[in-house]
Amino acid sequence: MLSSRMSGENYRLVVKGELGPRYASAFKDMTISAHNGVTEITGEIIDPCHLQGLIERVASLGLTLRSVTPIEAE
Amino acid sequence: MSSQTAELAGRGLRVIEPKLIPPRVHAGTLRRERLLRLLGDHPGTSLTMLNAGVGYGKTTLVRSWCVERPEAVIWFSLDAADDDPVRLWTHVATAVERLGQGRGRAALVALGTRGAPIETAIDELMNGLVAYGRAVSIVLDDLHAVSSATALGSVAHAIERLPANVRLLATTRSDPAIGTARLRARRALTEIRAHELAFTVEETHELLAQERISLSPDNVALLADRTEGWPAGLYLAALWLREHPNPDDGVRAFAGTARHVGDYLTDEVLAALAPDIRQFLIGTSVLGRFTPALCDAVLGRENSTRLLAELARSNMFLVALDSQGEWYRYHHLFGEVLQLDLEPEVARELRRRAAEWCRAEGLVEDAIEYAAAAEDAELVAALLAESYMSFFWGARFDQLVRWVRWLPAELLIANPTLPAVAATAGLVTRRPEVEVQRLLAVANRSRRERPEAWSPDAEAMVELTRSEVFAGDIGAAIEHGRRAVAAASAGSGLLTVGSLVGLAQALFFAGELDEMRQISLAAVQRPDAPEFPNGYLLHLGLLAMVDAEQGRLETAQSWAREALNFARARYLADTWLAAAAHLGVAMVHAATGHLDEAERQAERGELLRRAPQPTVGHTHALLVLAQVRIKRSRLARATNDLEHARRALSEFPDPGRLPALRDAVEQQLATIRSGSAPRDPIEEPSPAELAVLRALATGLSRRQIGAELYISLNTVKTHTRELYRKLGATSRADAIARADALGLLDEAQSPG
Repeated sequence: MLSSRMSGENYRLVVKGELGPRYASAFKDMTISAHNGVTEITGEIIDPCHLQGLIERVASLGLTLRSVTPIEAE
Repeated sequence: MSSQTAELAGRGLRVIEPKLIPPRVHAGTLRRERLLRLLGDHPGTSLTMLNAGVGYGKTTLVRSWCVERPEAVIWFSLDAADDDPVRLWTHVATAVERLGQGRGRAALVALGTRGAPIETAIDELMNGLVAYGRAVSIVLDDLHAVSSATALGSVAHAIERLPANVRLLATTRSDPAIGTARLRARRALTEIRAHELAFTVEETHELLAQERISLSPDNVALLADRTEGWPAGLYLAALWLREHPNPDDGVRAFAGTARHVGDYLTDEVLAALAPDIRQFLIGTSVLGRFTPALCDAVLGRENSTRLLAELARSNMFLVALDSQGEWYRYHHLFGEVLQLDLEPEVARELRRRAAEWCRAEGLVEDAIEYAAAAEDAELVAALLAESYMSFFWGARFDQLVRWVRWLPAELLIANPTLPAVAATAGLVTRRPEVEVQRLLAVANRSRRERPEAWSPDAEAMVELTRSEVFAGDIGAAIEHGRRAVAAASAGSGLLTVGSLVGLAQALFFAGELDEMRQISLAAVQRPDAPEFPNGYLLHLGLLAMVDAEQGRLETAQSWAREALNFARARYLADTWLAAAAHLGVAMVHAATGHLDEAERQAERGELLRRAPQPTVGHTHALLVLAQVRIKRSRLARATNDLEHARRALSEFPDPGRLPALRDAVEQQLATIRSGSAPRDPIEEPSPAELAVLRALATGLSRRQIGAELYISLNTVKTHTRELYRKLGATSRADAIARADALGLLDEAQSPG
């Protein structure tokens, strides 16, 4: 892992299925938005370990990950 | 590792029993004939791997398969702490040992020997399984829990060495780095992945029929489709539809939403429950393994026993871990999702209560895990401060260091015993010296900034750690050892036996035998001594050695016997802690002429003291071994031992009396050699005579030699007479010594 240029980057994770409000606490500091049969989990990623942790959290909650995309800063 | 601080270290690795017990299979689980057949017999398969996400029924499937097997099954549930391959394989080897006939013994010895590579232990385990002969299946459940290269590498090594009578199965959520690509190419891997584990429409029918839920065939297909056959989803659906007034309507509504399957169904199932049960489930979801008593304590109730029994009967998300109905856990997914409904403050409070209950029950590590999850650093610090000794006895050094590093600096300064203890643990586990020094620096800061927090125990620990750093400098070790003893006696008393043994060891190597004997005698006579098994054992071993050295053979023998009995009772017999006892026994046998046994015991002691780096203790063992071998006329090997000892001693700044001891042993060797001067024999012995010569060296009688070599007794006598003549020897021992010096015995001596 090189000096993390990832700090401060925003990412969008998309999981299959629309998640209800209980999952808000599962992904602290991220925004959850459900529509069209999928749920978007969006927010700032501190470093690669943070992203890896999120991906593992998705798996441990029995969710199916569709995509992981960096979002260009506005 | 003969160091003042290492006397606190042992390899008394405790096995965590629940990990070796397979979880019970719930009566309501559907029997999946199709998959059981897939799991069936697979000739040529080294590894069967079930690889799918959470909730696919992997554990349940393998568990049901095990129940129907005629052969022995070894079950092992992995968790993150099994990243330490010694812990991982100690559990497996213990299970193999329980198959009977000591099949796991050699592996357990290797695992308890500091410095022995893990591959050696695994090879010994495989040998034991070959010797067992009958079919065995080994199940590694939740292999994804480990991620360290050493742990995964050790599993890969085991797979490569797997004997034909052993089948290895693993459940995992992700592809483990154990060489699966290679196995696939060789067709030695059987894989069962998510698409096979998913329920088919037929199986969905069967499940619904079993639960007495009636749905139209169209809706059965709809349900199967909507859930995509995800077993966790289907079992949740069954729970929900069982109580539903109109299952067909329910399924249609469910299929009409775009909600995530688990989320929707969890809502439905929870909504249908009585509020009391719902509260119970959500409140206990923070617990890992739990008993009714723990649930009562955490929730302030009295009815957990009844509730849990009911829940266990009615659904499979509560897993009973034993047959007495004492320990349970939730299915991983269920527990995770339930927790989401808890307010963070409430969750913290519940975990704090769980920590306190575990503390009262003596479940130290569980208490700390809960306290840390509750983000209560003060509680973690308090728990560590009162229980650090149990980490040492259980060889849980990595955990200890991990927890201490988790704490903020202010708490470490307020509890200076903790960084001091962690420094010791770090040394034992060979953490980089920088890290150890950093921990010592924190301890010193405490002494400066918070003198009121500085305790004699912290002082004792720091001095013990410093003396370890000076392990090759006996003079410095004695100095620090004395300071440690003085500090320990002013403290809680927990460190007294340990610091005394540190000093005693240093004195032994310095040659201050009278003082050493006084100290160890007083130490073992303390009523609390056996409560500190590592120190106690080391004192007994030292007493055995010193009495043997000074000719008090009977007392030496009884010290050694007590030491070895004590060690066996605490699973420490195959660790370096028992080495001194073996060496003491060796010295006694050598003095009474039982050279065979003497060499065996000395070899054991030397083996147990081996370490990656040379140590004073190991060097001493080499010298004892060399002495015994000289008596047995195994001069080539003795020379080898002395060479190793010489090289090691040149690296120590102050090795006490060992150089003088080495000189004395070398003198003995030279004396024997000159007595049997290696002048050339008058004639070269014939091959037949050489065969007899080698047999003589093994201690057989002439009649036995004849039987071994298929020659008559008279022939043996003739050959022997010729040998004596050719070697210029006057006795068997003389002949053997001369032959050894000439190297005539070397080829015959097989290694080990």
